[in-house]
Amino acid sequence: MGLSRVAVVASAQTELRPSWSGAQHIDLISAVVTSVFKGTGLTLDDVDFVIDSGSDVLDGRSISNCGFLGALGAHHKEEARVEEDGLFSALYGVNKIRSGASNVGLIVAYSKPSESRVDAYWSAMVEPFYQRPVGFSQAAALGIQAQRYLASSGRSQKDLADVVARRWAAAAEHGDVAIDDLPNSEAVLASADVATPLKQLMMARPLDGAVAVLIAREDIARRATHAPVFVTGMGTSMDRHAFASREGGKLASAEAAASMAYKKAGWGGGEADVAEVSGASVVGEALAIDALGLCEGKTAINLSGGALPADTIMATGLIRLAQASRQLSMPAVYGIPAPSRAVVHGAGGIAMQSNCVFTLEV
Amino acid sequence: MANINKGGRHVGIVGVGQTHHSRRRTDVSQAGLVREAVDRALADARMTMDDIDTVVIATGPVLFAAVNQPEKWVADAIGAQLKPVVRVTSGGGAGFAGGLAGYYQVAGGFADRTLVVAYDKLSEGALQYSISTLYDPFWGREFAVGIMGFSAAYWRARMEPLGHTEEAAAMVAVKNLKNAMANPYAHVKREVTVEDVLASKPLCWPIKLMDVPPISDGAAAVVLCSEHVAHRYSDRPAWIRGISYCCEADNAAERSLLLSEPLAIAAKNVYRAAGITNPRRQFDVAEVQEPYTCFELNYYESLGLCPPGGAAELIASGATQVTGDIPVNPSGGCLGANPIGAAGLIRLIEGATQVMGRSENTQIKDAKLALVQSGGGWANLRGCAVLGA
Repeated sequence: MGLSRVAVVASAQTELRPSWSGAQHIDLISAVVTSVFKGTGLTLDDVDFVIDSGSDVLDGRSISNCGFLGALGAHHKEEARVEEDGLFSALYGVNKIRSGASNVGLIVAYSKPSESRVDAYWSAMVEPFYQRPVGFSQAAALGIQAQRYLASSGRSQKDLADVVARRWAAAAEHGDVAIDDLPNSEAVLASADVATPLKQLMMARPLDGAVAVLIAREDIARRATHAPVFVTGMGTSMDRHAFASREGGKLASAEAAASMAYKKAGWGGGEADVAEVSGASVVGEALAIDALGLCEGKTAINLSGGALPADTIMATGLIRLAQASRQLSMPAVYGIPAPSRAVVHGAGGIAMQSNCVFTLEV
Repeated sequence: MANINKGGRHVGIVGVGQTHHSRRRTDVSQAGLVREAVDRALADARMTMDDIDTVVIATGPVLFAAVNQPEKWVADAIGAQLKPVVRVTSGGGAGFAGGLAGYYQVAGGFADRTLVVAYDKLSEGALQYSISTLYDPFWGREFAVGIMGFSAAYWRARMEPLGHTEEAAAMVAVKNLKNAMANPYAHVKREVTVEDVLASKPLCWPIKLMDVPPISDGAAAVVLCSEHVAHRYSDRPAWIRGISYCCEADNAAERSLLLSEPLAIAAKNVYRAAGITNPRRQFDVAEVQEPYTCFELNYYESLGLCPPGGAAELIASGATQVTGDIPVNPSGGCLGANPIGAAGLIRLIEGATQVMGRSENTQIKDAKLALVQSGGGWANLRGCAVLGA
């Protein structure tokens, strides 16, 4: 008997807001953990393990998962904390079920950046001896990345602003994202300079939120939902930390992650019907789209709006998985005809040093 | 829940390496420390980084050493660029949790050769301050500081009902420190007597100075392989016959202070997977992570090496000495060296080298089956594994 097949059974997500000021972490987490079982016939008792993504630094708390175990539904179960984008937690969970050791797993990711200093989260990630003291940071890295991209791609700042406006419009329609004023291209270009040529609205916007994804072995998934979404390929890769040593003008680690996932799936980005792609900036997203071999127009990319209007930091990639799974299982909601293949992408680190790619099929 | 039962792949440890642990390593950064352990594990497995499919990095809480997501930095120092790298963390049990994550990468078919490296460089941060932030910011930090206070309360709760006396715990210190004398990687090397321990300075009664492990800088690494390729790298791999790591939610009013429920659950999972029905008789050796001597007594009972209330008698009988029938911590355990985030992986290494027949400490004769225990959090994250040659 070979390794088990694993499917996404259901997902649940809070609204993504600039500040969930009336809710604590445990409130956001328990909201998604309690609602993810709706309609599946499964309960918390059926769950063998919980794997979660959150950040001690953003939470201001050591081993913060320890404080959230009850809300996570993990009591007396196996639990693991992957301190990385939530898609990496999903990868761990899929492996656990594929091994035959477990049947049903709950993957949870959350962030509450409104309670933290996001710039400190990033600067604490930079190498401490040579780079941190000179102020090298996420914004600086993304700015340099964007300058190179504009110089080599032939695209203009206005083109980037158009993409941002489209993403925000999509998020307002399908992303469950709190948006007061929908920016158009002019508003994007008129927003504050952050790291030339990137404007404020060209950076991923940190939001509070949580997401839970229920995964299960094939036979259980088929009983729990009429539309199980199978994970058919997974890949990850981490580039060099030293930004100057990375190959410019591309995301080599996203390419390597995609290649690993596509090899297992037996198909590539050009054959995807839908894709959910992360991006630390509009240029980061464009580089990821290139690295994944996706072509906008041929593949419906980021129907949820993606990470630019709604970056829940540790949860962003897992939200991409939840959104892409919904697009495959409930395409009518998104107004797309019978998609069968999806590509999902998550990223972490300074200027997207680390990348994770899933292929999904129905 | 614990091990392969339906088509998964068997996983073996084929290479191990650890640093010479010490109070303060000023000659290397975190990245350099990691590199030392990785070089040793790769050499032991007759591999280079080119052979490695995936890397798992584990550390204690990042507030310990003030670098957020440090795997992204240290990965450069081990030549892991463009490989799959992920970090898991689980407080004191992080090293064991890293081993578990690596185990599932191989068992689930994601990789054939996985490098797991765990470390902490505790000299670079304010340890007890960082641990104090573990408690709830609204209602927990007002009265809970560091990790020693509640550990003392736990021990106190076990004293009368279970007989976990100060003398019994002192015997654990005497045994482990004596064993550490033979461990080339331990950084505390001194023999003490029960009287020395009992007379040592009270820190948070009943915990006294000699009940407490040192604070160490150190790293440890293992190479895990699937059954398909393991024979290429080791003549005698240590097979993971069962591994599980469970938790107990915080502030559960019903939480038992006597038996460790998550450890008992993990042991049940693992013993079922490995066919263990009489742990005391079947295991040849055990390695446990004892962040205070009192915990080793608790593990004896939670792991079923003796009945509840039997721990004091077990330590006093000499059965857990290297010359006894169930030696516990022939490496010296955490009392010999305690780089917290690495400690759980060090326990796996010490258990593995015993069943591989090449322990660098006191080799237990003909050891074939080892029990390994680890844990973290506020004693609410607990796991164990069975290793066999």
